[in-house]
Amino acid sequence: MHHDNGIWVSTEDLTREESFLQSAGKEFSVENMDQTDGKWETNRRDFLKLLGFGLGAATLAASCEIPVKKAIPYVTKPDEIVPGVANYFASSFVNGGDYCAVLVKTREGRPIKIEGNTLSSVTKGGTSARAQASVLSLYDTRRIQHPGTVKEGNVTKMEWVAFDREVKAKLAAGGNIRIIANTIISPTAKKALAEFQAKYPNSRVITYDPVSAAALLAANQQSFGQRVIPDYKFGAADVIVSFGADFLGTWISPVEYAREYAKKRKIRDVKGAKMSRHYQIESHMSLTGSNADNRILIKPSEMGAAIVALYNELTGGSGGPKLSNEKSVTAIKKMAKDLTSRKGKTLVVCGSNNVMEQLYVNKINELLGNINSTVDFNAVSYMRQGDEREMMRLIDEMNAGQVAVAIVWGANPAWDLPNASKFSEAFAKAGTRISFNGVLDETTLLCTHSAPTHHFLESWGDAEPKAGHFSLIQPTIAPLFNTRQAEHSLLEWADSPNLNRQDEQPYYQYLKSHWANEMFKRQSRYSTPTAFWDMSLHDGVLEIPATGTAVSVNDIALNPDAVTKPSGSDIEVSFYETVNIGGGQYAHNPWLQEMPDPVHRTVWGNYLSIPVEWDGVNKIKGWNGLQDGDMVDVEVNGQKITCTVVRTFGQPAGTVAIALGGGREAGGCGVGYGVNVNPALQVAGGLIQYFAGNVNVSGKVGADKHFPTVQFHHTMGVAAEGKEEGKVINVDEKALGWKGFQGALTDRSIIFHTHVKDLPKFADKMEAFHEEASHLNEQTLYPDRSDFFGTGVKWGMYVDMNACVGCGACQVACVSENNVPVVGKKEVHRHHEMTWLRIDRYFYGDFENPKVVYQPMMCQHCDNAPCENVCPVNATNHSMEGINQMAYNRCIGTRYCANNCPYKVRRFNWLDYTTADTFPGNEEKVFRLEGDDKPFYADNLVRMVLNPDVTVRSRGVIEKCTFCIQRIQEGKLTAKRESRAIMDNDVRTACQTACPTGAIVFGNLNNPQSEVSKLTKGTAPLAYQVLEEINVRPGVSYSAKVNNSNEELYS
Amino acid sequence: MLLKRICWVIALAFTASLSLYAAPNVEEGKALFTNNCASCHNKNMKDKLTGPALGGMEERWAPYPRKDLYAWIRNSQALIATGHPYANQLWNEWKPVLMNNFTGLTDDQIEGIILYVNQEYNKVPVTAGPTSPQGSGKKESGTPWLFVGLAVILGLLAFALMRIINNLGNIARVQEGQAPIQRTLAQTLTSKGAIAFLVFAVTLIFGYKTVDNATKLGRQQGYKPDQPIAFSHKLHAGTNKIDCQYCHDTARRSKHASIPAANTCMNCHSAVKKGSISGTAEITKIYASIGFDPMQNKYIPDYEFWSEKQIEDLYKKWVGQEYMSEKSLTALDENGRMVVENQWEGIVKALKNDSNGKIQGPIEWVRIHNLADHAYFNHAQHVAVGQIACQKCHGPIEEMEVVHQYSTLGMGWCINCHRETEVKFKDNAYYEQYARYHNELKSGTRDKVTVEDIGGLECQKCHY
Repeated sequence: MHHDNGIWVSTEDLTREESFLQSAGKEFSVENMDQTDGKWETNRRDFLKLLGFGLGAATLAASCEIPVKKAIPYVTKPDEIVPGVANYFASSFVNGGDYCAVLVKTREGRPIKIEGNTLSSVTKGGTSARAQASVLSLYDTRRIQHPGTVKEGNVTKMEWVAFDREVKAKLAAGGNIRIIANTIISPTAKKALAEFQAKYPNSRVITYDPVSAAALLAANQQSFGQRVIPDYKFGAADVIVSFGADFLGTWISPVEYAREYAKKRKIRDVKGAKMSRHYQIESHMSLTGSNADNRILIKPSEMGAAIVALYNELTGGSGGPKLSNEKSVTAIKKMAKDLTSRKGKTLVVCGSNNVMEQLYVNKINELLGNINSTVDFNAVSYMRQGDEREMMRLIDEMNAGQVAVAIVWGANPAWDLPNASKFSEAFAKAGTRISFNGVLDETTLLCTHSAPTHHFLESWGDAEPKAGHFSLIQPTIAPLFNTRQAEHSLLEWADSPNLNRQDEQPYYQYLKSHWANEMFKRQSRYSTPTAFWDMSLHDGVLEIPATGTAVSVNDIALNPDAVTKPSGSDIEVSFYETVNIGGGQYAHNPWLQEMPDPVHRTVWGNYLSIPVEWDGVNKIKGWNGLQDGDMVDVEVNGQKITCTVVRTFGQPAGTVAIALGGGREAGGCGVGYGVNVNPALQVAGGLIQYFAGNVNVSGKVGADKHFPTVQFHHTMGVAAEGKEEGKVINVDEKALGWKGFQGALTDRSIIFHTHVKDLPKFADKMEAFHEEASHLNEQTLYPDRSDFFGTGVKWGMYVDMNACVGCGACQVACVSENNVPVVGKKEVHRHHEMTWLRIDRYFYGDFENPKVVYQPMMCQHCDNAPCENVCPVNATNHSMEGINQMAYNRCIGTRYCANNCPYKVRRFNWLDYTTADTFPGNEEKVFRLEGDDKPFYADNLVRMVLNPDVTVRSRGVIEKCTFCIQRIQEGKLTAKRESRAIMDNDVRTACQTACPTGAIVFGNLNNPQSEVSKLTKGTAPLAYQVLEEINVRPGVSYSAKVNNSNEELYS
Repeated sequence: MLLKRICWVIALAFTASLSLYAAPNVEEGKALFTNNCASCHNKNMKDKLTGPALGGMEERWAPYPRKDLYAWIRNSQALIATGHPYANQLWNEWKPVLMNNFTGLTDDQIEGIILYVNQEYNKVPVTAGPTSPQGSGKKESGTPWLFVGLAVILGLLAFALMRIINNLGNIARVQEGQAPIQRTLAQTLTSKGAIAFLVFAVTLIFGYKTVDNATKLGRQQGYKPDQPIAFSHKLHAGTNKIDCQYCHDTARRSKHASIPAANTCMNCHSAVKKGSISGTAEITKIYASIGFDPMQNKYIPDYEFWSEKQIEDLYKKWVGQEYMSEKSLTALDENGRMVVENQWEGIVKALKNDSNGKIQGPIEWVRIHNLADHAYFNHAQHVAVGQIACQKCHGPIEEMEVVHQYSTLGMGWCINCHRETEVKFKDNAYYEQYARYHNELKSGTRDKVTVEDIGGLECQKCHY
């Protein structure tokens, strides 16, 4: 069954419910207009009081002395700092196995923004939302500020000298020492660990990952003799098959994979266009699954069955567990055919944590001739190294009283292990427990000692994410607190002779000498160690590519009985990692919490995805009659979890899904949001399984009062059936009281999509659409302003929706660049989220198994902007460079502009989110961390993250995307000072630089040579403007979405 | 014939102008000296500074070919390396002080500098006194007498008309047999019309004043606060003619003009240890901020850990020593002790930090120009690209003993300037993209391109 105009956003949209009509049509729902909760009711008397107060205040202010401000220069100005000019330092974002080569933008010695490092051939300038948000965690008020002993939830202050003495005594007392860490990709840190182990031979490092890839590593050890992750070449594969691996969102190295993947998805020419085909076999819709051409739906416990089915198809064998869904069986048969027709140019990856399943996948890759081609071993990845089985052994060891000292380094096993409570019990039996963690998280609270390490922006370090790809970490700010780098602590405790304690930065010298002694030898580009170090530090990356490493595949006996057996239960649940929160290790970052989950569009927590049902007549409803925001009890693995429901398309019947990482219990802002599902995870063969059978989901037991989904916020152009009219009308018009007044508006051009084989025909259709639109736009009241825009620069943007994977890096980059406030769960529920750039998610195709388009939507900078001519005070108007300008100080907050914006991209400051000026009645509503007495942004530490080039908006004004005007100003000034024309690279917007796939292009439309001109004008048949037919003339163009689905798959 | 003659004239004029441009020029020499030499060579050309006094250098170099002098100025070390006798004599006298290289100077430019040096050297010293203020800007005229006169005439006219209307009304009434209305002055003044007029006038005046004052709210034109150091722009920029951007060097490359760091002061004041106005009183504050020992001529290691007592002892000793040498005393007299005490108090007052109680550390100047937070202003744009003189906004700084805010820094003031100021349209390749304006300029339909024409009045030029 297909929707008549092919595109939908939600169930209400499909079923055209009256409630949806109302909520979608209104910028702000009725409840949200009641912003005061009856507290600030204003009557005539209050009005007079306020008026009187206002006059009095103004008089007072006029007579008062203006406060004296100081201008404090440097005593000795560092050469590299020019006040007012940003400096960029190459560094690396590393958190466990997550890696991104970055440039850190600093202003007057204060890191404020993360950019990608284009010199890295791993990430190639791309970033992830996690990397973008990492700068905020530097200014986390919950960071531990000094070393000390942990008592009653606090760290009792100690000096490092006394602390070291105490720790060394404990270490020297004998007994086993265990260091618990997540993946460590730093060669120098490993060297430090080795020194520590040499000093204390009874010590051992236990590594596990918050979300495990242990089975993959174990299988590779067996198949290839190397316990590593091969270099997957997504850019070289014509057919990609992923068995539940979310490689674009969370799996191993998503930034790297996304860029490679997008290379084969971009359409440059209509004629003979080619793109890769991507099959995703999964249960819940992951970010990667949402980008797939074909999703094959299975139950979570049938992953092994699906892999064996493919293997059997390729080998002609039989046996092994069977899939329950006949449709999927056929689909896998046809997929196998597709794979065999392109041998050597395919790639099969698998996210399962079952060793036999991974062995099957390795065999499949071998059968398809992919080993040493798309599954390459020249630059193997070290980004996952953990094995949770070691943790299980450690628990036994600790229970037996065999561990004297346990050192926790970055890991949080007291929360993120399935048997966290068992771990906690055992952990208490280790005599001394030391934590390097930066915040008082669940594990640190159980420790006896806290030796907080630096944030990575205060640290020295290196990383080897892939073999031969080295990356340096350099500090961009002096340590804010009395913290010390973990490596330094280890070396100190090991009495290392290589650590020069007299030096100002001992670990820097240690790192430098390691590079001079070890790395220098491995390269030939630089002839002296000094030049080598300086240039490596400058570039941030050092690449010594390996060549010609081919592996041979060991013949491992495959046993279909060792794969997961389908549970056969009615309902199964899958647990997955989200793009923003990960396995919970990023839960304490408000920017990430407020970034909507790309697929479910929810924020601040994890929610249970339930399937939607088609009643066979004309209704689509949530499974079991559940609505979004209803709460249910889920019984799984003997654990009862009460969670909130969100209805999700593409969630197969008989399955539900919930993200990991919710319900953190200590350490920061993530506490109290979502539910902790870790105790529900099952362990098979020592490995954590991210699904469970035998699940009971109750009916509605309650409702989340503040269910924060941005699903229905700022929707545009939704067509729905009006009950009175009995026909399809435009929702916006209905809300305005027009009854189908403008026929042209009903079928709005927001998303275009086609199949790659239909491209030539589709191009003609687009041509016709453009003609129709320009015909509709001929009759206009707007004056001709081509002269106005025709000279000088005209800024424009192009968004390639075939490259956009919806990862959200741009959204967080925008928040970081433009001082966009965090508003909190309750405010998001009230439609008050402030993000200037949202990523709209649309479905198309089959209801039960739809395809997805992501559309980054920001101010379109219309040349005929409808917002401009309704502003009573001319606070928003147009520049001759084509920018829709917003003067905050002129805005009086009528919100007419937001109402009149067809794209719904304007945001109103209902409250004083950034505490620019604090009203007492306002403060209590503004987002604050649990237990804090002042709002989040009122803390001077948090405010250090603000970009000084962008105004902090106050309450009562509208704001929106400015095309990063501060970057435009900077770029123009550079060009002027160098007396030259402006070029593409002079101005790059924050979203553009953040994008891992290069989906966003920005530049000068008046220059025919600029990339954006080439992509949007003339020979760009896929480019269109959203709502092109309403003659607002946006400055942003999009590309039509092209898929390469195997249309015979289900026939 | 005529054409030929014109060609000749043009050609002559051209060569003349060329040679005029190329000849050594004392004005150019002055500019070059100020920008390149003045930080090391004394302006009076008679005293030593970081480098030797330049006065009389022509005579000193006379035994050698002129090109040696050029070579010396362009690259002194190269000349020394050739074994030039005088060059080596100078080097032995001054080493290890190195002279910067100025390889870009032409012979004529060097001659210009020499001309300027000679001019300054031979100048008869004038007794110090305030230089006469240049006629800067037009004075606001006082009371607008024209308008007062007009108001009086109009008032009289209105009064006369009122009388005429009254009389005519009374005549009409008399003709109709009614009694004429006679009003006393009091009655007239308390009539409805008069009161209404009064209320109207008062509202108008108050309203105008309210709006006017509201606009000026937060403006600080004329703001002239006391600074921790009595730094005289008049002395530095006026008398000594130090280029503004020597100290405010970030003005050409950043949005901030920035108050120079103390180490910038030290470029000169490591040599100039006593001021011409205040002696040791002010300059010692710089030393106490950065930790420079003027007696040893070196920076104090680990100065940040010094106690206040140590700092006090050092600088009191210095001030006392200078006092004694000036007065040719061997011990401090009563007055001297007072001078020392006062100057130390001045240092403490200027430098002691409220939060950490330390003397050492940055000098906290009082900020004079406070642009509203929501307004973006970029010095580099105006100084480097627009080539606007600093004085345009900051007034005759070189005449200010104590700096005050010269302009309103109000939005209207910015806007007016953007309306009037021409863009450096032809000199900067950036503006080539404004093809339409270039065409209009060429065809003569446009005579200039102002900042307004390229979007200089648009909101988001300054507000975002």
